[in-house]
Amino acid sequence: MKRQRENAIVFAYPERCLGCHGCELACAVAHSGTGLHQAALSGLTLRPRNKVVAAGGVMMPVQCRQCEDAPCAAACPTGAMLQESGQVGVREKNCVGCKVCVMVCPFGAISVKHEGSEPESCRTNGGIARKCDLCAGTGREAPACVEGCPTKALSLVDLEEYRQTLIEARAAELAQSLQHLKSRKARI
Amino acid sequence: MTMKLSTDPSAATLLPIAKKEGISTVWDRHRAMQPQCGFGQLGVCCRICWKGPCRIDPFGDGPQRGICGADADTIVARNVIRMIAAGAAGHSEHGRHVALALQGVAEGRLPAYQIRDEAKLRAVAAKLDICTEGRDIPAIAAAVAKATLEDFQNQDHDAPCNWIEATLTKKRLERLQALHVLPHNIDAVITQIMGRTLVGCDADPVNLILGGIKGALADFDGMCLATELSDALFGAPAPVVTAANLGVIKPDAVNIAVHGHNPLLSEVVCEVAGLMDEEARKAGAKEGINIVGICCTGNEVMVRHGIPLAANYLSQELALVTGAVDAMVVDVQCIMPSVSEIGACFHTAVITTMAENKIPGATHVDFKEETALENARRIVATAIEAYKRRDPRRVNIPDFKQTAIVGFGVESVVGALATLNAEDPLQPLIENIANGNIRGIALFAGCNSTQVAQDSSFVTMAKKLAANNVLMLATGCGAGSFAKHGLMTQEATLEYAGESLKAVLTAIGTSAGLNGPLPLVLHMGSCVDNSRAVQVAVAVADKLGVDLDQLPLVASAPEAMSEKAVAIGTWSVALGIPTHLGTMPQVTGSAKVTELLTRTAKDLLGGYFLVELDPEVAADKLLEVIEERRKGLGI
Repeated sequence: MKRQRENAIVFAYPERCLGCHGCELACAVAHSGTGLHQAALSGLTLRPRNKVVAAGGVMMPVQCRQCEDAPCAAACPTGAMLQESGQVGVREKNCVGCKVCVMVCPFGAISVKHEGSEPESCRTNGGIARKCDLCAGTGREAPACVEGCPTKALSLVDLEEYRQTLIEARAAELAQSLQHLKSRKARI
Repeated sequence: MTMKLSTDPSAATLLPIAKKEGISTVWDRHRAMQPQCGFGQLGVCCRICWKGPCRIDPFGDGPQRGICGADADTIVARNVIRMIAAGAAGHSEHGRHVALALQGVAEGRLPAYQIRDEAKLRAVAAKLDICTEGRDIPAIAAAVAKATLEDFQNQDHDAPCNWIEATLTKKRLERLQALHVLPHNIDAVITQIMGRTLVGCDADPVNLILGGIKGALADFDGMCLATELSDALFGAPAPVVTAANLGVIKPDAVNIAVHGHNPLLSEVVCEVAGLMDEEARKAGAKEGINIVGICCTGNEVMVRHGIPLAANYLSQELALVTGAVDAMVVDVQCIMPSVSEIGACFHTAVITTMAENKIPGATHVDFKEETALENARRIVATAIEAYKRRDPRRVNIPDFKQTAIVGFGVESVVGALATLNAEDPLQPLIENIANGNIRGIALFAGCNSTQVAQDSSFVTMAKKLAANNVLMLATGCGAGSFAKHGLMTQEATLEYAGESLKAVLTAIGTSAGLNGPLPLVLHMGSCVDNSRAVQVAVAVADKLGVDLDQLPLVASAPEAMSEKAVAIGTWSVALGIPTHLGTMPQVTGSAKVTELLTRTAKDLLGGYFLVELDPEVAADKLLEVIEERRKGLGI
């Protein structure tokens, strides 16, 4: 049986987010295949795969949670969305832009608008499903939004490491308590 | 690592010391600031009202207009011309300060100052069409000051400023007049930029940029008058041999660093330091008082008196890290607010001197021209006191300094040429340009920026242009770079100049009594002295009967940073000069403004911005422009 590991996620700490939209810009540029100034000057339409929102008294970007039982993958009629390489991947050539994934995603993290230069044919809008791909394939160490956040409100969380850190921290606390308990017992 | 931050060898010595001492420098702060905001880099962030801040999505998915309705073109144009206004304000305040001092001297109110260069004052008067016959020097000075101050007072929108009218070619004035961009009053034009960029005013990017060009030309006017009147008061520069880089700081002297831009204070400090040398020796400094320069105050006293230059912009903090600067005396512009904190890590007294330029933690000596001698004495005395507290164990003076032959104002350039042809000094220059011995002229100006490894772009470009026989002039921190890296020496000419350029520089230098060639790059002064290069260009253009946009003349600010550089670059374009920027200007969020500055400007003005971050490629592009211009002239 394949070793099971949860998909990594981009996690936002709302109390650190200033709402600058820098993560959106970083995301758009990272997926453009070029640099900031060149992308701006050449008039490319680029769409970030994350969106900064203000709700419930806080601000933060929202992006794909890389669900383990992803409604988008379950609902996709063409099999374009699937669990792949530690994330919910999109097989772009299979996608017809039917928007079922958009409808079922509880986070609003998917769009099917076209990107880049204008589509050449009026037979297509050029739209296919786009969502956070954790910057896989862009050759960077961490997702662009994480690198681009000036207040470090974003991090790439590996759930196993995260859990391990928590477990170790709590175990260390418990160990300390047990030490006290032992010395108390000795006194009694 | 250090190589990527700076190519100045002093940095490699001192940055590890700063790190060990826990002192953060400009490069640490640059690193901490990464990543920098993309909206800001593109110029599409608007902060001019409290409905905002607004920012335009440059990629078309998010908001395309700010809350008020301004789009990216409007926002970018407004932002960049406000930068021009700030740059123009800085230079023009400097100019006004000098003009008022000249007026004070004329009225006999300022005992610390004299007209040291009467010939220059007369030349300035003649240029401004002021009658000098039968008038004594104070009367001429009063008339020159009055005509100059009119450039801050004139309310007739159709009458251009006196200085700009007296300085440019007739064709250029007509061209600028036709575009309605000739300034009539420096203050008014700057105010107009602030007014038109207020929320709910000018939204037309082309109209805004034209307003900015007018502001930039007001900046040019302020720079011309600042330079020329400073020359009258303190003497026009003449060639002098000095040195540059932090090795000019002396372990056994009271070291006073003069930093900023305005010569009014530093001139008096130099004078008073000479008189107080004995006091410094009594305090134990075997070598007395050693004045060194930083940034453009440094350049001002360097080209006039041969005072050595310790640092340009990015290494100002490193001067303090030597532990041997006893006082850093600052006036205006380009002074990092961090200097007071770093000074406090040592014994250094950081002294601010201008009422409108104070730094928390610094000592303030309120400098006034009326009490200049007394103020300067207090500054020098403070330095001597600080010297007594210096800890010799913390002194680390890098063993780096380069000889620099500096001081090439218009008068000294023409003077050197006159030794070849007394009747027609410009003729040898024109001949050599026409016959191709000199392919063209490049003016290097502008700052250092943390976006570029310090000095690297200046040095790379200069070596390439020199090899291709381009005559080079430099001002400001560019000049500082060349001086520190040994490119203002005769040896550099022999090593790097192409054969025909080497021959010309050798002929002029030998005939001018330098026993060898002129230095590879001619140091014309501080950044405010860019107007000197324009004067040479105008004289050549007038003699040939052409306009500035026909000359094989280019400008380059490969490490630009300050709002002053935005203003200078823009007037350079407005005067018809192709102007290279080696750092990315914050305008790329608007295709329209970018197009206007880099292409449309060529049709309107002859000059245009050429943005190229790679110095090797930039040098090639400038060489192409020079050849294109030569072709246009049929040479």
